[in-house]
Parts: sequence; C-alpha cells; structure tokens
Amino acid sequence: MRKIGIYGKGGIGKSTTTQNMAAAMAVSFGKKVMIHGCDPKADATRMILGVMSQETVLDTLREFGKENVTVDKVVKLGFAGIRAVESGGPEPGVGCAGRGIITAIDLMEELGGYPDDLEFLFYDVLGDVVCGGFAMPMRQGKAQEIYIVTSGEMMAIYAANNISKGLLKYAKRSGIRLGGIICNSRNVDKERDLVEEFCDRIGTQMIYFVPRDNMVQKAEFNKKTVMEFDSDCKQAGEYKNLAQRIIENENFVIPKPIMKMDELEDLVMKYGII
Amino acid sequence: MAIPEEYKLKCDFTIPERYKHHVLTNRKEPNIPACNVKTIPGDMTERGCAFAGSRGVVGGPIGDCIQIIHSPSGCAWYQWGTRRNLSDIYAWAGPNTLCNDSQNRRRAVTSDLLEKDVVFGGMEKLEKTCLEAWRLIPGAAGILIYTTCTSGLIGDDCPSVARRVEREIGKPVFVIDSPGFCGVSQSTGHHHFNVQFYDQVVEYREKHPEACMKEEEKGPYDITIIGEFNMDWDLAYIKPLFEKLGCRVVAVFTGGERLGNLLKIPDAKLNVLHCQRSCTYISDLIKEGFEVPYVNASFFGIEQTAKALREVAEFFGSEEMMEKAEQIIEYELEVISPAIDFYRERLTGKKVGMYVGGPRVWHWQRVMKELGMKVVFGMCTFAHEDDYEKINARAEDGVFLVDNPNEFEIEECLERFKPDLFLTGLKEKYLCRKLGVPTVNSHSYEKGPYACFRGMVNFARDIYEGVYAPVWKFARDKDFI
Repeated sequence: MRKIGIYGKGGIGKSTTTQNMAAAMAVSFGKKVMIHGCDPKADATRMILGVMSQETVLDTLREFGKENVTVDKVVKLGFAGIRAVESGGPEPGVGCAGRGIITAIDLMEELGGYPDDLEFLFYDVLGDVVCGGFAMPMRQGKAQEIYIVTSGEMMAIYAANNISKGLLKYAKRSGIRLGGIICNSRNVDKERDLVEEFCDRIGTQMIYFVPRDNMVQKAEFNKKTVMEFDSDCKQAGEYKNLAQRIIENENFVIPKPIMKMDELEDLVMKYGII
Repeated sequence: MAIPEEYKLKCDFTIPERYKHHVLTNRKEPNIPACNVKTIPGDMTERGCAFAGSRGVVGGPIGDCIQIIHSPSGCAWYQWGTRRNLSDIYAWAGPNTLCNDSQNRRRAVTSDLLEKDVVFGGMEKLEKTCLEAWRLIPGAAGILIYTTCTSGLIGDDCPSVARRVEREIGKPVFVIDSPGFCGVSQSTGHHHFNVQFYDQVVEYREKHPEACMKEEEKGPYDITIIGEFNMDWDLAYIKPLFEKLGCRVVAVFTGGERLGNLLKIPDAKLNVLHCQRSCTYISDLIKEGFEVPYVNASFFGIEQTAKALREVAEFFGSEEMMEKAEQIIEYELEVISPAIDFYRERLTGKKVGMYVGGPRVWHWQRVMKELGMKVVFGMCTFAHEDDYEKINARAEDGVFLVDNPNEFEIEECLERFKPDLFLTGLKEKYLCRKLGVPTVNSHSYEKGPYACFRGMVNFARDIYEGVYAPVWKFARDKDFI
C-alpha cells in the first residue's frame, strides 16, 4: 500500500486535486483507493461521495463514545469504489484540531479501518503544517511520500517552501520523502517556468501541471469529480495523466528548502509576477 | 437491580446519577453497578489519570530502566518514591559493598517541558533528556518514555525520538503513549501500557533475535507471573512457592523485573495471571501471538494460593508436580496455622469495609472469610464489569458495593456500616483516624508482604494490630463505633 500525504496552501485546490486524481486512478487504472480527509471542515471527500455531510470520526466519537466508533459508521464507499473517511474536528476557534487528527488516525489504525488490499491511501491535510498534530501523517508508518499542491502565486510558493521545511525535519526521523510538486494552475504569467525553477531549487520535480479549466468548478458544483461528471472531457484526461505520473513516480527526495526569504523573493521577481 | 431505597446514601441526594454506581451483591444474579464510565461533574472522584495507570502502576515497577516522563516537571513528581514496588538490581558490587541500583522509586527523570517547548515542540528536548540521562546512568538496560497530556496534545513524535536514541545507545527505547486525558480512569493507562509494550517487545524481538530466549535455555516448566507488581516484596513469597513446585519463573510482568527478562515473556510455557484487571490484555495478546496460554490465579489467602499452585501443577500434567503441590500446601499450612488460628480467634465476627482499586476487593473476599471477618461494604476506583462479577461471586449476598466512590460516600458508609476495620489507601487514612476507624494500607501494605501463605500471617498481624490498637479505646468512648 502506498500512503501519500497531500499538503499545500489553504484554498489551493488540494482536496479538489486529490479527489479528481483519486477518481482517475480508480476509473482508468483500476486501483483501490482511499481518501482520509484531515481537515476539521470535513470537505475532502465531498465530490467522491456526492454529499457534504459525511459522519466524521471525531463527531462519532464525541456523540457516541470511543468504544462505539466502528469502521462501518465512519468509512463510506463513494464513486468508483473509493473509500472515504473524514477526521472532522472542532469548530473554528475552540479545542485542538491537531490533537483531533492524531486521535482520528490512531483510532482508524486501531479499528483496522485501512484495508490490507488498499493500493493508495491519501491523507488530505489542511493548509500549512502548523503544529505537531498536522504532521501526524508524516510520522513513520504513516505516509511515506508527500506531494505539495501549489500554483505560481507568491504565497503558494512560499507555503510550499515552508511545508518542505517541515518535511525536512521529519525526513531524517521517519524516512518520509517528497514525491514532487503538483502545479494547480491559476493562469498567472510564466507560471510553469516559475514552478519548475522552484522545484529545481528545492531539488524535486514538478510532477504535473494541471491547467485551469472551468470544467473542474462545474463538476465540483454538481458534487462530482470531473471523471464522474464528464469522463471524456479534456480535464479528465489531465487528471488521468497526473494519476499515471504518480503511479509511475520513482523520484523521491529529501527537499532542500530555500532558507532565505530574499532568495525566494528574487525567484518570484525573476518571473515578473509582481 | 437498582439499589433499595433504604440503602441510598444521603450525601448523593444532589447527584442522583451516583445511585447507578451502588448495588448489593448477589451470588445467583450478579448485580453490576455502572462502572468504567466518566465521572459526573460535581462528584469529587478519587480516580487517577491514564498516565498514572501506565507509569504509576504497570510500567513503574520495572527495575533496570531509565523511566522518562515527557512532561512539565509536575507530572513527574509522583513517579518518585511513592508506590512501594520494590526491586533489586545489583549493578555495582565491590568488596564490602553491594549497592541496590534499581531505578524505580530511586530516580525520577523528566524532560521538564516549558512554555517555549510547548510552542516550538519538545522532541529535541526529549532527545537531549534521553541522552543526558543515559550519560548519568550508563548501566541501565534501556529507556521507557511516557507521554503525558502536554506532550500528547502538542503531538510530539516520540517514537521517532526513541528510534534515534536507540541507535545511539544500543539499548531498547520504548514509548508508552498514554496521555492523562485519554480515558476515564487509570484503567485506560494499564490497557495502553499492555498493548504498546507488547507491540514494541514483539518488534524488538524481530529485530534482535538475540534478545529472545535461546532454544537450549528453554525449560519444560518455564512460567511467567503476569500482573504482579512486587508490592513490599510479595515476590519473595510467590516465587519460592513456584520454584519448589519445580517451575522456573522466567519473568514477572512487571514487579521488580529487568527489561531483558521482560523481552523473554513470550518464550515461557505458561503465564500465571494475578492482577486480572491491569494485565489480562497482555496475557490475551501473548496467547494470541505466541500461543502461550495463561491461568487466572490469586495469591491472597490460603484457599486461593493453594488453588493457584494446584492449577499450575495440573496444567503441566505432571503427577510429581501435583504431588509436590499437595506437599507444599500441607507444609505451609502446618507452618502458618498456629499464627492464623491466633489471629482468627481474635478477629472472628469483626466487620470490615474495603476500598481498593478494583481486583483486591474480590481477591480479599475469601481472605476475610478465612480470618472469620465479615465484609460489610466494598468500593472500587476503576473496576470493570468482570471485576464486579467476581466480587458478586465471592462475597456474601447483600454486600454494599460502590463504584468510583467519593469522600462523602466513604464517610457516610463508615458511619452507616460502622466497620471495625477499613482496608483502604493512604488518602483515606486520616479521615478514618478522625472517625475512629482502624485502617490497613491496602495499596502498599503496612509491613508486607501479604501474598501467599506466609504473607497472610503478615496481613492478619497488621489487621490485628490495627483493630486492637489501644488508642481506639479513647475514640470509642465518645459513642462512635
């Protein structure tokens, strides 16, 4: 089983990309896939299930008690046989979302919620790696490879660099590696060049450039992945290619994040984003 | 069955939820109170936390490990010198010196998490703590790291630190992740220690086959004693009995034990399980993973100790061993009978109340009967359904049981049942003094050991000394008890 963590700046399209890619993996390559959403908002499996309100692990735990959480209650089967589970967590401003992720992943492992015959398990983790809890999927025995979703915008690059810093810390301890950067295009100028050079600098690859297409939004509005909404469209092909690149990927590295802010700014300046 | 109206404690008038935790025992149809559930707000429980269960009870007695608490220093206070789990590790012996160098109760190590460690993560500090402790105590057999609420909440990745330290020092480094908040009582901590320790032992044995017992070292009558924490040297009475029987005690989980022996637990032929609350989990895991069966045993009192010896002998199916068991029992009874008769004569008819963690309330029902005493009420801090089933089966009918009692309930029970003796811990001792009720420290003992035949004499002596202490005549004159 390949366990994959997806990180990236908030709002960059991690969940959208993960779900579309997972759908392509399941439909076009016949893979057994599972998505574990690690975001208190619990919106990482919406398009796979076609509904927003999945019962989350932590809500079930809160309502019925730990001993009453079962795999059947929290793991749902969605489009193309993709399994989906949401950690859930506290409302904004209260409690500790980080501890929530630890509890949810521990509980899932305890319950045997990740079946043995699974081929791909995606941890879709919210935003930045802000505390120990959000780094939980990076620990040993959890995700072995990480993909960072970014665009050509300065703050997205900045976040990707920051996540690499977190990853570097864990790489030595747990053997986790960076598999590459997924560029989820925002149609900014020279986006591909900038992201490619950034990847070069931190020593990884741009594994795929996902072009912008309104089809994604249209499908998302219908609570469907592109693959389910219109499997013949061009964007479905793009996600299929991304899935293939990830299935075939063998380029796993310890990143060398840019440590100086100046250097990062110079890089962005070079491509005239400002 | 709900508690009859006349038995309802007055102090619980304002928290009627507590009545679900009170029952009267019944041998035919056991009455099980609500138990192992979270404490109701307003009820000043005397329970401990999960960390107290993992470090304080199950992990604590291991003798030759450095035990590191990854916490602010406050959590580490109680790891030092509190429970009398004795052990002997003679690492430094020289002419005229033989120094007991066991770690438990002697040294307390904490990573001392402070504000900035909580903000920036405590893993580096933990690693530094481990290496520093190792430099100070280089003779230790390994390191046990315990997480607490603080380190559990900030999500420090302790297993990765453990692996790095393990590479550095070349000795096993295990992590027990049982933050205080993760259960309703210390019982969760027992469970966590069992499961996590077992997993790490299995993993370590796979990586280091030399840690397992060699085939030629294995004996036909190898046993382990599980769930015995060597309270006040209980093992000094338990181990020789089994050795006389012809068994070899490979390891004790965990009383006074060395880590090296604990790694060999799965190599034994039989596990003898004493504390069936805190250690059934690991016995089940060993049974499942290594096909080593276990027998439930109790080493308290004449009848139960004899039963334990007979059952172990029966398991091995050796005629010689069964005969030996009978000889041991006969001999021991001959030795202790005069003393026991003396105490029984003076204790018969006395009323006794009990308040211990869980299992001892059923372990000691028979012991009290053997001393002619009458149990009038029993209380457990963290017992589960199966403990209450055992109490129901072993006690007389109609014994008042309270699950997870608070101080007011204890006080009211003492006033209502007027026991001549209260078997309880140190917390309640002074309350009992004020009420004129003698107590015997039932957690760490007064002058133990209390286990097995000869331990029973000590137990009876302490009870006798408590009940007949001349001081009570002053208290009793004042019309109470």
